[in-house]
Amino acid sequence: MSPAFLERYRGGFFALFSFLLIGLLWEFAVSANWINPLFVSRPSAVWTQIMAQVSSGELLQNFSISLIEFMIGFGLAMMLGVALGVLAGWFRTVEYALDPFIWFTYAAPLIAFYPLFVANLGLGAPTVIAIAFLFALPAIYANTLSGIQNVDQDMVRMATSFGAGRRDIFLRVALPASMSMVVAGLRLSIGRALTGVVVAEIFGATAGLGYSITYYGQQLQTAQMLVSLLAVVAFGVLLTQTLAAFEARLDWRSAPGT
Amino acid sequence: MKTHGRIFVSSAAVAIFLMAWQFLPTLGLVDIRYTSQPSSVFKTAINILLNDNLGHHAYVSFMEFIAGFGLAVVIGIPVGIVFGSVKMLRQIVDPPLMALNMMPRLALLPILAVWLGIGMASKIAVVFLGAVMPIIVNTMAGVRETDARLVLAARSFGATHLDIFIRILLPGSLPAVIMGIRLGIGRAILGVVVGEMYVAEAGIGFQIVTYGSSMRIDYLLVYTLLIAGFGYLLTSAARMLENHLSTWRPL
Repeated sequence: MSPAFLERYRGGFFALFSFLLIGLLWEFAVSANWINPLFVSRPSAVWTQIMAQVSSGELLQNFSISLIEFMIGFGLAMMLGVALGVLAGWFRTVEYALDPFIWFTYAAPLIAFYPLFVANLGLGAPTVIAIAFLFALPAIYANTLSGIQNVDQDMVRMATSFGAGRRDIFLRVALPASMSMVVAGLRLSIGRALTGVVVAEIFGATAGLGYSITYYGQQLQTAQMLVSLLAVVAFGVLLTQTLAAFEARLDWRSAPGT
Repeated sequence: MKTHGRIFVSSAAVAIFLMAWQFLPTLGLVDIRYTSQPSSVFKTAINILLNDNLGHHAYVSFMEFIAGFGLAVVIGIPVGIVFGSVKMLRQIVDPPLMALNMMPRLALLPILAVWLGIGMASKIAVVFLGAVMPIIVNTMAGVRETDARLVLAARSFGATHLDIFIRILLPGSLPAVIMGIRLGIGRAILGVVVGEMYVAEAGIGFQIVTYGSSMRIDYLLVYTLLIAGFGYLLTSAARMLENHLSTWRPL
C-alpha cells in the first residue's frame, strides 16, 4: 500500500482500529467474567444474532419500517417547515403570529402527547410519523426563517435598482441566498426526526427498530436488542453521510449572498 | 412601535387559538375528550398545584435533571478538552464518539432500565448521555479552534502545560462550551421526561404517562406546559450567557 493510499483512508483505519479495540475488550471482559453477559451480551453473540436477523429478514424489515416512517415524517416537516419559514420570513405578521406556537413545539416534550396520537391515529406508523414530523418541524422552520430574513440587503437594493420586482427579489435573491441556512436546518432536524421515530416506536408502535429495542429489552434478550441498537447507530451515520454528500453537491452553486 | 406590533400580533394569535380551543368543543365541532378546553386546563392547573403531590414529582424530576446534567458538565468539559488537545487520543476515540453522537441516545433507555433499574439511576444515566455528547463535541471543537499562536507564544514565554490549559485553552473554548451546555439542556429535559415515561415510580414524566393513558388531556397539558416553561427559562438563560460571552471574549 502506498503512503498516499494510507493517508487517504487514515480516518477509516482509525475507526476500524477503535471499533475492533472496543469489541475485543468487551469480549475479553465477558470471557474473564468481569461483567455479566446477561446484561451486556458479548460481541460474538451479537454477531450470531445479526446473522440470524439478516437471514430471517427481521433486521431488514425493522430497518425499512423505521426508514419509511422517518422519510415521510421528515419529508412532511421539510415541506411545511420550509413553506412556513418562507412565508414568515417574507411577511412579518405571519412570523409574529406563528412565534408562540413554534416556541411551544420547541420547548415542550411533544412525545408526551403520544396517547392522543394513538387514540386518533392508532398504534403504529401514522403515530410515529406524526411525532417525527413534530420533532423535525421547528428547526427547519426557524432556519428557513432566519435564512430569508438575513438576506444581504445590498443584493436586494442592487436588484431593485436594476428594476427587479418583489417577486423577482423573492425568487432570484432571497430564496437562493437562504439555501445554505435551509440545509443547516435540515441537518439539525435529521437528528431530531430520528429521535422522534425511535422514541415514538418505543411508546406507540408494534414494529420498527425502536419497538424491537424495547421488546427485546423487556425480555432481557440483550444480544437481539443490541442488534437493533447498532442498526439505529448505522441509521444515524447513514443519514448524516447522505446529507453531507448532498451538501457537497450544493457547493458548486455560487448563489448571490453566499 | 415594532415590539408593540410584535406583542400585539403574537397575543392576538394566541387569543384566537385559545378561543377556538374553548368554543369549538362547546359547539360540538371537535371531541372534547381529545382536546380538553382552556377553562378546564386552568382549573386542573390549580388542582395540580394544590393536591396532586406536585412538589414530590417535581422534586424527583428536578433531582434527576440536576444529577444527570451536572455529571455531564463536570465530566464532559474535561473530557472534551483532553480529546480536543491530544491528537492521538482524538483519532482513536473520534469514530465511536461520532457514532454515539449521531444516534438518538434515548434508544439506550431500555438497556439502561435493565442495567440500572426503574429508579432514579436509569433516568440520571439517560440525562447524562443525552447532555454529555453536545458538551464533549462542542468543547472539542472549541479547544481545536483556540488560536494556536497563543499557545505557541505562551510556550515560548515558558508556560507549563497546566498554565496553557488554565490560561488559554479553558477561557478560549468557553463560548463553544456554553453553546454545548445550551444544547445539552434541551436533551437533558427530554431525557428526564421520556425516561420517566418509559419506566419510573415518580416524576413529571411518570405523571404525564399516568394521566395520558387514562386520556386526562387537561392534566397532560398542565404537566407538559410546566416542562416547556422550565426548558424555555433555562435555555434563555444559557442563550443570554452565550451572547454575553460572545461580545466579551476573554481572548
